Amino acid sequence: MGNFKLTSVEEFEAATNRLLETGAKVGADAWQFRVKNQTPHCKFGEQGVCCRICSMGPCRITPKAPRGICGCDVHGIVGRNFLRFTAGGSATHSDHGREICHTLHTVAPDGNYKVKDPDKLIRIAKEWGVETEGKNIYDLAHEIAEMALLEYGKPFGTQRFLKRAPEHTQELWAKAEIEPRAIDREVATALHMTHMGCSSKPEALIRQSLRCGLSDGWGGSMCGTEFSDVMFGTPKPLDTEANLGVMKEDYVNIIVHGHDPSLSEMICDYAEDPEMIALAKSVGAKGINVAGVCCTSNEVAMRRGIPMAGNFLQQENVVLTGACEAIVVDVQCIFPALGPLSKCFHTKFITTSPIAQMPDSEFIRFNAETAGENAKLIVRTAVENFKNRKPELVHIPQLKQKATVGYSVEAIVKTLDKVTNSQVDVTGTTKPLIECITSGVLRGAVAMVGCNNPRVRPDSAHIDLMKKLIANDIIVVLSGCSAQAAARAGLMDKEARELCGAGLKRVCELADIPPVLHMGSCVDISRMMILASELAKDSGLNISQLPLVGCAPEWMSEKAVSIGNYVVATGIDTFLGVEPQVTGSSEVVGLLTDGIRDWVEAAYTVEKDIDKLGDLMIQRIEEKRAALGI
Amino acid sequence: MTLFDVVFSGNDTVYGLTESAISDAIAKYGADKAVAFPDTAYSLPCYYAVTGTKVGNLGELKEALGVVKTLMTREQKLNDAFMSGVATALCAEFIEVLKYIDGAVPYEAPCYGHLGDPVIRELGVPLVTGDIPGVAVILGAAPTAEEGVALVKSYQAQGILVTLVGGIIDQCEAQGYKTGANVRVIPLGKDVTSVVHAVSVAIRAALIFGNIQPGDAAGLMEYTMKRVPAFVNAFAPLDAVIVACGAGAIALGFPVITNEETFKVPKSLIVQKDVSKFNATSLEARDIKIKITNIDIPVAFASAFEGEIIRRG
Repeated sequence: MGNFKLTSVEEFEAATNRLLETGAKVGADAWQFRVKNQTPHCKFGEQGVCCRICSMGPCRITPKAPRGICGCDVHGIVGRNFLRFTAGGSATHSDHGREICHTLHTVAPDGNYKVKDPDKLIRIAKEWGVETEGKNIYDLAHEIAEMALLEYGKPFGTQRFLKRAPEHTQELWAKAEIEPRAIDREVATALHMTHMGCSSKPEALIRQSLRCGLSDGWGGSMCGTEFSDVMFGTPKPLDTEANLGVMKEDYVNIIVHGHDPSLSEMICDYAEDPEMIALAKSVGAKGINVAGVCCTSNEVAMRRGIPMAGNFLQQENVVLTGACEAIVVDVQCIFPALGPLSKCFHTKFITTSPIAQMPDSEFIRFNAETAGENAKLIVRTAVENFKNRKPELVHIPQLKQKATVGYSVEAIVKTLDKVTNSQVDVTGTTKPLIECITSGVLRGAVAMVGCNNPRVRPDSAHIDLMKKLIANDIIVVLSGCSAQAAARAGLMDKEARELCGAGLKRVCELADIPPVLHMGSCVDISRMMILASELAKDSGLNISQLPLVGCAPEWMSEKAVSIGNYVVATGIDTFLGVEPQVTGSSEVVGLLTDGIRDWVEAAYTVEKDIDKLGDLMIQRIEEKRAALGI
Repeated sequence: MTLFDVVFSGNDTVYGLTESAISDAIAKYGADKAVAFPDTAYSLPCYYAVTGTKVGNLGELKEALGVVKTLMTREQKLNDAFMSGVATALCAEFIEVLKYIDGAVPYEAPCYGHLGDPVIRELGVPLVTGDIPGVAVILGAAPTAEEGVALVKSYQAQGILVTLVGGIIDQCEAQGYKTGANVRVIPLGKDVTSVVHAVSVAIRAALIFGNIQPGDAAGLMEYTMKRVPAFVNAFAPLDAVIVACGAGAIALGFPVITNEETFKVPKSLIVQKDVSKFNATSLEARDIKIKITNIDIPVAFASAFEGEIIRRG
């Protein structure tokens, strides 16, 4: 047991406050101040009743003005806004997945990118009906990459990966007419439907929201995850560390931030390059230390054990340490504030993607063909910047925790194999987990995902909920910034099993796992969909019958909404701690929290009181158990 | 019924029996009547280890039952099932100790009932050195006497200490199979409550060799889980009482292997329909690894036979 202790949210905040003092010295702005400037928010926007999709508007709905100029009522406006929100998120993940497919198309035995998990590639090829026998693995990779890219724009049919779902789920999708066709098409259809004078019927808009979400979860995100595994290796359990204390004062600190592992993997490679290390030593550093922020951090932590400096609302803190030589970003969830902020320090803010260009940044264009030289230049730029550090501004909060990460579905099944009995059981299934659940040892599982949001005390909802769930013998799987909150708090340390109820504690001891399992980045929520499908198939139950719920307590982005939509549409009840901007329409709220249950056997629950949100999840899990008589 | 409900109902049954047995005893002997097991410095070893309290007479035993009742919470959680399992074991211990009132000798050959401290000290050293690689608790009657005896023999040949409760004892007798502490096959008793005498061994091992402080229930359970390589083989049919006892065993870290189709829990509650595979299943479940050098001789060969007495004729 030793001296294990969680790091509290108060300690997180104390560290942040100390960093803001440094910020004050150099005149830095911070999200904490910008939130104040934006408060109170516009109520019309908050409720989703403001429409600006044509130039007759902007229109807003009030009791005196119940319709927009075109005659659209509040339900149509809210529904359209919600669908556009979803389309934004779906486009984001899917474009990330597309980049990965393009990168897969460049793999070569002597190239920047290689096939690291040929078995997984062959498995996918077989699933897609591609002949693999006697084929060169790189030829196969190129063939699969092309097929995957066609998933984005094929004229006919539906997504190939849908076949991975249990038959019952596939039937529901077909019946509800929400099977995603081409990935891009669903985004385009969404934008079409929401144009002035198209759909204003909430039911149609919400149906498309689900379909657009599914094209992400079972299309774009799944491509992103699966082919990242093929190129960079399928994650296996490994140990790492988390929180700002992973930055090292005497080292060149390179922070990778963003989402696409094509960039971060390459940066990590070059940070280990002897030439670069020698260069670092020549400028007076002990070496090069790469740490991550946000989902790119999750990617390299899962596969390489690269430490995790922080999640979404920590990104400015990384620079405020004064010890960040470069913050290298690609796409998504990158504060444009990092530009001006980096100017207050010696930090180089390096943007790399034409998709995400920002003022006050150094743009080093990164692409798959020239990845090696791009990455080397980025690392060199960071190393050479070490000498510009202002020692009087350096302060790294000494907070960090141990974390065991790397729980891909493959790794989870392998872990479960360890608790089977060779005299009785088969291996390679999720059955041991199902047995723990049906016997009551574990009450159920929660997939906790999502962002930080200043509307919620950062990380507090994630951490409080996890503590409550594990104490109630509910196992938690995590991704994204939720996972990082857990890691920073210490919940991914195996010793955190002491905080569990007797059932989960015993499971952790026997399987040698932490009580919360890091399943990766936000596109890796597709892993959770596969896990849910496997559990359903192995148990003979429908996904919606499993005592399993999803939760995004501090969600913020459009991506989170797209995720929520595909999780719900997969049959998993989803709990939100932040209200979506739909409260202006009783019909849309009615559909999302109840009506869609008729189509997909699951719906949303929104509760801003986080403690109550936890109770509601536990209650839903127990209801599902009662319905099964377990 | 959920698995936990079965545990709770078994616990309730045993608790009810214990309550009336204690009341009857008090009515018969008075509350001051002394209760104790022979040859032990640990009072009622299970109760003492879990609570740190020694029980000297019937009045105190009644109070102790009140403490046991507090363990019997009824939430649908493993902790509650574990505690009900422990409560069941403690009730069994109370029922068993009542059999020893007034220096009675409730068990007769081949059954041993309560095992005195000297037996545990004697077994403890080979247990720690791994000379005894495990402890099997066999409960109930095997589908046939032959299968039952074959199972006992298989453990014995591996040097595993075997304790027997219930029908398996008769099966060994019927087959003329030699039992006794000297050959490390110890029939405890034919009532299911006598299984507590096996639990008592594990617990006293923790107190004697593990330096676990009486009352440190969590430390006790951790010690038994990590250090006492015991497991249970429970033959079908399982009633609620046996399941409740099983929960107690699992709480101490001892897996239960059964041939009855029931709920399964990885590494803890394992259904093995084929009794001939009980041995291999159990050893794997308890992570007991035995390296056997097979000496091809016409008789069984193991340290278990060291104390065997060869009688004339």
